This record gives sequence, structure tokens and C-alpha cells, in this order.
Amino acid sequence: MPRRRIYNPVTELLTAALLVVLVLVVNRWEFSLGVLVLGVLPAVLFSGRARRIGLALALVTGPLLISSLLLHGLFFPEGERILLDLGIARVSVEGLVFAAVLGVRTSVFAGVLLTTAMTLDIAELLATMTHRGWNRKLVFVIGSAVGLIPHVALRGQQITRAQQARGFVVGRGPFTRLRGLLAVTTPLVIGLLVDASERNHMLEARGFSATVARTSYVPDSDTAGQRVFRRLLVLGVGLCCAVWLIVTVPG
Amino acid sequence: MSSSSAPAAEPAALRPRRLLLAAGGTLIVLTYLLLVILQPTELAGGMGSVAALVSLIGFLGGGALLVAGILPMLSTSSLVVMPLGIALNIAIGQLAGSLGLQIYLDAIGTVLVAVLAGPAAGAATGAISNAIWGLFNPFALPFAAGAALIGLLAGLAAKHGLFRRVYTAAGAGLVTGAIGGLVAAPVAVFMFGAAGTPGTNAIIAVFRSLGDKLLLAATKQGLLSDSLDKIVVFVLVALIVHALPQRAVRQFPFARTQRVIGGRGGGRSAARGNDAGTA
Amino acid sequence: MISLEVESFAHDGAAPALTDVSLSVQPGEHVVLAGASGSGKTTLVRLLAGLTGLDAGATLLGSITLGDQRLRFDGSPRDPRIDAARWSAQVAYVAQGAWGQLSMMSSTVGEEVAFGLANRGVPSAQLRLRVEEVAVALGLTPLLQRDPRRLSGGQLQRTLIAAAVVQRPRVLVLDEPFQGLDDDAVREVGAALEVLRGDGTGVVVSAPMLPLDAPRSARVLALAGGRPVFDGPLAEARSAGLDRYGIGTAGDPPTRTGVDRPAGAGPALVELRNVSFSYPDERGAPRVAGLRGIDLDVHPGEIVALRGPNGSGKSTLLQHLDGLLRAGAGSVTVEGTLIRRQPTGSFAGTVGYLFQDTDQQLFERTVLREVAYGPRVTGAGRAEAGRRAAAALAEVGLRAVEEVHPYELGFVQRRLVALASLIATGPSLWVLDEPTAGLDAPARETVAALLAAHARAGGAVVLATHDAAFADAVVHRSLWLDDGRVVREGH
Repeated sequence: MPRRRIYNPVTELLTAALLVVLVLVVNRWEFSLGVLVLGVLPAVLFSGRARRIGLALALVTGPLLISSLLLHGLFFPEGERILLDLGIARVSVEGLVFAAVLGVRTSVFAGVLLTTAMTLDIAELLATMTHRGWNRKLVFVIGSAVGLIPHVALRGQQITRAQQARGFVVGRGPFTRLRGLLAVTTPLVIGLLVDASERNHMLEARGFSATVARTSYVPDSDTAGQRVFRRLLVLGVGLCCAVWLIVTVPG
Repeated sequence: MSSSSAPAAEPAALRPRRLLLAAGGTLIVLTYLLLVILQPTELAGGMGSVAALVSLIGFLGGGALLVAGILPMLSTSSLVVMPLGIALNIAIGQLAGSLGLQIYLDAIGTVLVAVLAGPAAGAATGAISNAIWGLFNPFALPFAAGAALIGLLAGLAAKHGLFRRVYTAAGAGLVTGAIGGLVAAPVAVFMFGAAGTPGTNAIIAVFRSLGDKLLLAATKQGLLSDSLDKIVVFVLVALIVHALPQRAVRQFPFARTQRVIGGRGGGRSAARGNDAGTA
Repeated sequence: MISLEVESFAHDGAAPALTDVSLSVQPGEHVVLAGASGSGKTTLVRLLAGLTGLDAGATLLGSITLGDQRLRFDGSPRDPRIDAARWSAQVAYVAQGAWGQLSMMSSTVGEEVAFGLANRGVPSAQLRLRVEEVAVALGLTPLLQRDPRRLSGGQLQRTLIAAAVVQRPRVLVLDEPFQGLDDDAVREVGAALEVLRGDGTGVVVSAPMLPLDAPRSARVLALAGGRPVFDGPLAEARSAGLDRYGIGTAGDPPTRTGVDRPAGAGPALVELRNVSFSYPDERGAPRVAGLRGIDLDVHPGEIVALRGPNGSGKSTLLQHLDGLLRAGAGSVTVEGTLIRRQPTGSFAGTVGYLFQDTDQQLFERTVLREVAYGPRVTGAGRAEAGRRAAAALAEVGLRAVEEVHPYELGFVQRRLVALASLIATGPSLWVLDEPTAGLDAPARETVAALLAAHARAGGAVVLATHDAAFADAVVHRSLWLDDGRVVREGH
């Protein structure tokens, strides 16, 4: 269920990145919370895949937030206002505040980037990079890596099954597990390298080393308007940051 | 139609590349020094927006400059293994989790590329790998420079023959992990308040309870766990590389000419066994 | 158009892989390069494709002529190097193994076909036009928006051909393009090649056997041990007695026929009772048939074939026999043990499984270690495992290569290594997925003989196959499957 797309992926990525920069520069929990509630939340809800993004966000940030709370909530030697003294561990107000501020900031960081990434159309991104004249090697490495990830995972599973059919049983100790990992990784790497050697010939034969600008089969979804918008956005955020820093960081 | 061998790299194009590499490296080193030595006073407790911004832009931008400098000088044979290394990093990182291993193992692909295709390809693989991983897990993003450093050091280790024996590979892994841990610590502290997995946090908590500053505690933790992780990764890669067939290794000029896996040079027959009877 | 005169060609100072071979291809000609495993046909195909390997230590004495340009090779370091990009504009090449030939960065078939043109900076509008032309010619138009990583074997092969010929080469060279394809896919790819040939493209196809349905006018160059043993029309090749060079004809039964009737007595080795299974739905993936109410008994001494079209459930059924898949309903019993939740690895001593894709199965440094792995993990001591491995290798005729890395071997020999590692473990039930696909005639004979011997010794075999001639000659009983159920049973 592809959502209806309004902006080019490059525009979306840039907007997300600048939003993160802005949050870092302003560094007020009020602002971070505002971005989280007014920016990230609606974006997730209207993305057309709210459930998947929500789940991913929870999986990625959840453990980090909990461990952050435990770490700083219990162990914050700089803390002076002690709420609870447990001997080695001391719950301090400063520690809890620190964990909360960092938690909000981290959530914004993850929320903005993950929402953008999970609604990103990789094919369109690669096409735009090609149309804008990015280095073809970079476009290849990124595109090919993203395309290979599911293939590698699938092949790993198939090899694991084949090893099991030959009598391999994953044991409990760390060494047998590492041995198991090696038993799967070795044929996986060999197979991938043999493919890569063939792909090497294929790329040469298909003129990948040519020096002319590459073209793309996928139409350019980028517009002149969006290019201007991107420049203005960079300029605007840059100015905002400069002004904010001069005003708030005295001397 | 024919008879054009590989064109020599023209020196005019070489200069801007060197400049990019130097700029990238300098940016990363400066960022690190700024964060560690100056330790902006606002981070008394370890929280700072400017510091976070500096570590994000410095390390990410430095990584980007390095990649921009390295990519044009890579051959196609190096280029085709980089996506493979990146995909391995991510897939094995997840597989390690599913097998219930306690270490990340998320640099196997980077180290493998570095051993086969050299330090430059390794560094670029590390940086791009974390940038792509950032799409699935944004917390990987700021560690791009650290990952590039791992790739670079692994490639240098391979160049000096440290992957010919498993124990020398383990030693190289120890050193690489320690350096990587040092570099990663400020990023972890200034971006995410050193929050990580429960395991790493427990180690930090121990140091914190002894009264260490957050940066110091995170650095000590990085030294410990990254070293262990990289020892395992380097040993695994050494074992994998030694189990590779000749024809898989021979396609890489770096691995072939530097003899990264020792005596098994190109001399042995490629077609051996092709004539064996099948009836 | 292109002609090749090889006095000798050798890798890395080894014995010559090719000696005194010459081949020329005319416009619109169809040439079959036939030869058993190790005959040098892949080497020859790669030379045509301009992959001389001179920088990796190969030595070529001879010449290659393309159009009006003649390249002479004397084995000296100053020999000409072939520029792959310019060569491929005239001689397109489709290698073995599909994955290595996908860029993996294209999310649609159209992009993948356009890859070569895009690299050369052909403007977008023209690019799309050329891709559409090729797609129409090869029947790919309905697939242009599909993900190239989720195609069937025949569709993928046609995509690779389209990507190779989009630059309108004069010659198309394919290395075993029919390997692992079923009959329908073979016809599909064959038809695509005929279209190209009709436009005047010369087509060179390598194959382990003489093809059954190549065009009438096809010419055959047969190789054995790197030397030509026959050069002439296909019809003559079939009666030229190429059997003695290990070159059979596709569709011929193995010569070993007349399997003994199974003893039939004794309890069943395998018992399936009303087994059903369904795959979880996966978004975007083609629907795979599960199993519906399968009953099957296999007695010691029996060889049973599962037949039917692709996706009919043959492999799914096989995977139930050693616990790789667990029945959703019904029961599976092997040697009296009901398969429930035991780890898959615990069946390895009783059931040997040969996967369709060999390369997922091999992972040791030498052939001997590879074959000894099974006996070792199932409890034999090191010495005993080595002894059994050596015996199994002798049975498949690979004792000579036991210290070689499995991946240094050709496809056929790797397949036999996988079979040997199954034999060495000593299971009473063999479960084989497409055991003869891609084999040459001698290896096919070996497999037929091994199956018969295993059955005579009281073991049982269940195999899935598209190879009708092989099944008719070797098995006692066939089950035809369609959409997850048995539709016919007989000989």
C-alpha cells in the first residue's frame, strides 16, 4: 500500500535531517516535545503504515529509553537532590531530568528519521540521485546494498536449514554458537563472492566504467520548485541556528 | 574494440581526492579532540546540544568527505564487494541476535571487505554501511566515522599480514576494538546519553557508581566491549577468509598482491580437478 | 562474424583447458557447444565473451576475429587486452548463475534491462523506447514493472538475455542457460532465442547434453578434454556416437534400466497419513501451494518419484520427510519415529536430504572434510568418518579430488560431492530434490546406479524430478502432484 507521495525522497530526507539539526541546536525539551507531538506524530499517523512505523519505533527506541532511565535514574553521581538512597545506586532529581530530556531528544531523532526512512521509495531516491548527477559508484553501492539485504537474509536462512538437514544442531555454549555462525557464514560469503565476481564482469560489460553522466529508466520526480525549496530550507535553518546560538550562548 | 589496458589515474584528478581525504580525516580528528579535550563546560553532566550537533556533523560530515574521496579511486572489483559487506553487516548483526549471541558482530562485512579489497574500500564500506543502517536504525547513523575507522584499521592489519594467522588477527582485533571504542564513546555520550543495550549499560553503571564522569565511564565501557566484539569479528573473518576457495580470493588485486592470507598465492592450479572422472 | 582459433589456452600454468579448437559463428546461426563436465566448454564460451583472464595468469595462443578486427595472442605480456564494455556491444554474454548478473540495484525488470544503456548515458526517452522494443521481442512486456528478484527461473533467464541484448549485439553467447529450468521454462527461453536469431543475431549455447528441441538448422561443436570431437549439424551429432565422450542427448533414459522389483516386505520406512500444510502468506511473494491430504507409504527397497509442474508441492512434500517442514495436520512417521518437535538435525542419521541448490549445502575447506562432516556430527569417530567419506567419494568417482576446495569444482562435481556427503552419513532413506538437473550423461548414469544399489541394499529413495526419462527408467512408482495433492499414481 504505497502512500500518495507529494515530495521527492531527497526533499523528504533533507527536511528530516534539518529538523534533527534544529532540535539539537535549540535544545529545549519544550521544543523537542513540540516537534514530537506536532511533527512526528501526525507524520506517522498519516503515513499509511502507522502500525508498522509505530512498532519499529517502539522496538528501536523502547529499550534505549528504558536503559537510559535506569542508567541515569539510578547512577548519576553529579546528582545533589537525592530522592532515594539505595546504597550504591541513588535516585536523583538531576538524573531523572537528564534521562527525560535526553529521552525526548532521542525520540525525536529516531521518530523523524525512521518515519522518513520507512516511507522512503528507494527506487525513486536512487533515480533522483542519478538524475541530479551524483557519483554513480555511490548510487550503485547504496542501491545494491539495500537490494542485497533481503537476499542475504533469505540465503542465510536457507543455508541454516541445509546445515540442520545434515545433522547440525545449535548447541547452548557460546563456542558452539559461534561455530554455528561460522558454518552458516562461510558458505554464505563464498556464494556471495562468487556472485560478486560474476557481477564484476557484468558491470564492466554493461559499461559501468564509462565516464559520461548516467541516465535513469525511472522518470525524474524532482521539480525545479523543490530544488529551490531545498536551497531555501538549508539557508533558513542555517540562519535560524546562527541567530539562536548567538542569542542564547552569551560570549 | 580492444587493446586499451587500464588507464593510468591522471594526477590532476588525484589532487582534489587527496584534499577530500585530508579534509575528512582532519574533520574527524578535530571533532574528537574538541569533544574529549575541551569537553564543553555545559556538559558537566554529559548533556549538550552543541556537543551533540558537533559530533553529528563532524563525524557524519567527515565520513561523507572520506567516502567522496575514496569512491572514485576504487576499482569495479572492490566496488562489487562493498554492497555485499554492507548487507552482511546488517544481516549477520540480526542473525547474531537470533542465535542468542551476546555481541554485535555488526562489522563482519566491513572487516571482510577491508581484508579482501584493502583499507580504503574497508573505510568506505564502514561509513556507508552505517549510513544505510541509519535507515532502519537511526542510532547507527552518528557512528559512521567509527565504522570507517574499523574498516581502515582492518585493511591496514591485512596489508601487514596480520590475517595470515588467527592469533595475530585476534591481536589486531583487540587494538582495533580499543581504538574504535575510544572514538565511539563521545558519540554515544553526547548524542544519546550513553544509553545502549542493557549489557553495556550495566558496565557503565558500574563505573558510574564508582563516581566516574559519564564520558569516562562510557569510554571505559567502549574499551571493554568493543575490544571483545572486534576480537571475535577479526577471528571469524580470518577463519572465513582461510576457508575461501582460491578463485574467490584471486579476483581481488589487493588480497592477491599483498598475500593477505599467506602462502596460498596465485600459483596453484585453477582448473585442478576439472578432469577428474565422473563416471 | 566472430571466429576463434585457439591453439592452446591454459589457466595459471595448468594443463591446457583448450587445445586446437576453432569456432566461427555466422549471423542467424545457432551453435550448440556440447561437452561433459570438465570438457572446456565454459572456458570457450568465456573466450568468446572476451573474458580471456590474461590479467589473472591465463595464457592464450591463438586469435579472435570480430568483424574486421583480428586480435592475435602469443602468450606474451604484451598481448592485447579486451575492453569489456566495447566488446559486449557486439558480443553479449549471459553467464551461469543468475544472481551474479543482476545489478541488485534495480527494483523493476525495466530498470535492469536498461542498466547497460543507462551506464552509457543514453537519454531517458530513447532508453525507454529501446527497453520496450526488447521487451516486446522477448515477451517481457507484462513483466517490466516486476521485481527482478522475484521472478520464476524462465522469466529471470529472459530478463538477463534482454539486459544483455538491449545494445543489439551481433552475437549472443549463453553458458548453460537451461540449467535448473523445467520443460516449460526451457521452451520459453528457447522461443526467445529464436526471435533473436530471426533478427540475424548469432546464438551460441553451451550445454552438457545435446538438446532435444534446438532449431533444425543448429550446428554442434562437441568438446571432450578441451579438444573438439565433433563439428556438424545437430541431426548428425545425435548419431555420431558422442556417448563415448560422455555427451548424451537430453530426454534419453540412462542406460542402466531394469530395476529389480522391490522386496516390498517389511514395515514401511516412511508413512504419511493425511498430511496437510500451508505456507504463511507473504506479501508480494507468489503464492506457493502447500499440501492437502497426502497419504504415502514407502517400503524398504523402493524408489518413488514425485512429479508435476513447478510449484505443485513436490519440494514441500520432500521437506516433510526430514523435519525441515512440520505437517500442519496429519502425521509423518520415518523408520517408526513420529516426526513432532525434534530438532531437524536429529534426523540426519536416518534421512539424507539432497537440496536443489547444492551451494547452500557445502561449507568445508576440502572435499574430504565436506563429505566427512555428516558422519562426524552424527556420531562416528574421526577415523571412521574419514574412512566412510573416502568410500562414499569412491562410489561417486571423486577420490582424485578429495583435497580440492569444493568450490573449485564444476557444477556437476559439486552436485556429486553433495550426494557423497549424503551417502557417507549412511541414512536408510534418501530424499533427493531434482538429483539429475544440470548433470552430464556420465554423472546421470552414476546417480541411476547409486539409487538402484541403495534400493537393492534395503534402503528407500524419494525424489522430486522433472526428468521424465530418468524417472521412467529408474523408479518403481511415481506420484503426480498438482496444487498440493496427489492427482495420479502409477508407474
